[in-house]
Amino acid sequence: MHAKITQMLFSVIDELNQLRPPDEHLAKDLGTPLAGDSGRLDSVGLINLIAVTEQKAAAELGRPLLLTDDRTLSQVNQVFRTLGTLADYIHLRLNEQNDG
Amino acid sequence: MEIKTFTVADLKTALVSEDFWLTKTLPITKHRALSYCRNPRAEEDDPVLLVAYQDIQVIGYLGILPDKIFVNDAVYKLGWLTSWWVDPSCATAGVGAILLFKALNAYDQYIGVSGVSRMARKALHASQKFMALKPLQGLDIRLRLNVTRDILRRLPTLKIFRVLFKIFDVMMDEVVNLRSFFWQQRNNSGQRLTFEYISTIDEETDHFIQQHQQYDLTRKEKSVLSWIMNYPWILSAPLKDAASKRYYFSSRADRFSYLGVKVFEHHNEMIGFFLLKVRDDRMSVVYSYFESRHATSIMAAVFHHALVMNMSILRLYDEQLVAGFSDLGCPCWSAKKKSREFSLSKAFAGIPLANYRLQGGDGDLAFY
Repeated sequence: MHAKITQMLFSVIDELNQLRPPDEHLAKDLGTPLAGDSGRLDSVGLINLIAVTEQKAAAELGRPLLLTDDRTLSQVNQVFRTLGTLADYIHLRLNEQNDG
Repeated sequence: MEIKTFTVADLKTALVSEDFWLTKTLPITKHRALSYCRNPRAEEDDPVLLVAYQDIQVIGYLGILPDKIFVNDAVYKLGWLTSWWVDPSCATAGVGAILLFKALNAYDQYIGVSGVSRMARKALHASQKFMALKPLQGLDIRLRLNVTRDILRRLPTLKIFRVLFKIFDVMMDEVVNLRSFFWQQRNNSGQRLTFEYISTIDEETDHFIQQHQQYDLTRKEKSVLSWIMNYPWILSAPLKDAASKRYYFSSRADRFSYLGVKVFEHHNEMIGFFLLKVRDDRMSVVYSYFESRHATSIMAAVFHHALVMNMSILRLYDEQLVAGFSDLGCPCWSAKKKSREFSLSKAFAGIPLANYRLQGGDGDLAFY
């Protein structure tokens, strides 16, 4: 599942990069910083990332994913610190859905 | 980072607290907070202000104006986003995103946005959670040139020629006065129409408005219009006070006021009501109510007020008034098309909004 999530996030990055100038492209690497002190995304970028990730999770993983609930918003800088932390969080949320 | 949600009740407490007003950046001004607290469409537990704090400093905030939308017999509660600010030094901290999504969650995804900035437009578009409504198409009518202010604002180094510019302005004003004199002679509205000015909505006006707003999306009752008129977000003041220097949005103007104008024709028959907002040398019609057959008369009344109040610019968003302006041949230097954008969250997607009218003061636009 984690590999699928990573692939899905890489396709999210591809889509985001289409809207960014070449020198601001995000690397398809789990260590890529997103939000926070060393983050690469401003508010608009983060909003875009969240919207595209929710959309692609539904399309590519076949699972609804909500990243704008209060639980996620209360830990934005942890969840969105890097692409890897986001992948871990999505994995956690999808597992919770399975358990629930 | 901590996000605090202030409800109306919390804001009332904050108004009398000393600590709330100690931060280097203010998330709201006192008179604006008072206005939020007196909003007749807000409940005590409605969230009206989200503030992001880093330690004890404000690094972002977002105001929310509770309102109602009326479609057929259904009433929908929503919050209009207003005054969305993020400290530029925290641009990558996700503050703006958190504020937006928290606001959506606080109002069960029923959110509206009026007159957005370029950045806000990008953010709303990126969220994929909003849909644009048909924009209001209006006019910015320039009645007086006021080149002194316009040139010096763009090229302050030309200050030494200020006197020359002033003389030119005075001469041009005389041209306007002459053209206006002839226009008023041609247009007999001055003799036909009489006016009554109000600073709060009376029973007669309320009754008139109720009969003329069945297709308004945000139908206003007496208490709402009176609240707008009596609890402004911008105060008339000669200088920036300490609070306005610490608040990112407008909180003062040299001249700021509202004026309610009841319009009567023969035999004291009330034919219209409009609410004017005057900010410095600009006048806007924020709300207007009349029957189509009286549109030209109401436009003449509005224009007459702009002339006698020495306005440089008159702004209209009512399509019937815009049409009336063309019909009247009012004297002006220019009339530029202006549009006002409104967006609603996609929670409204299934609601048939197309036949309903927005006015130039809807959302938070009546307050700026």
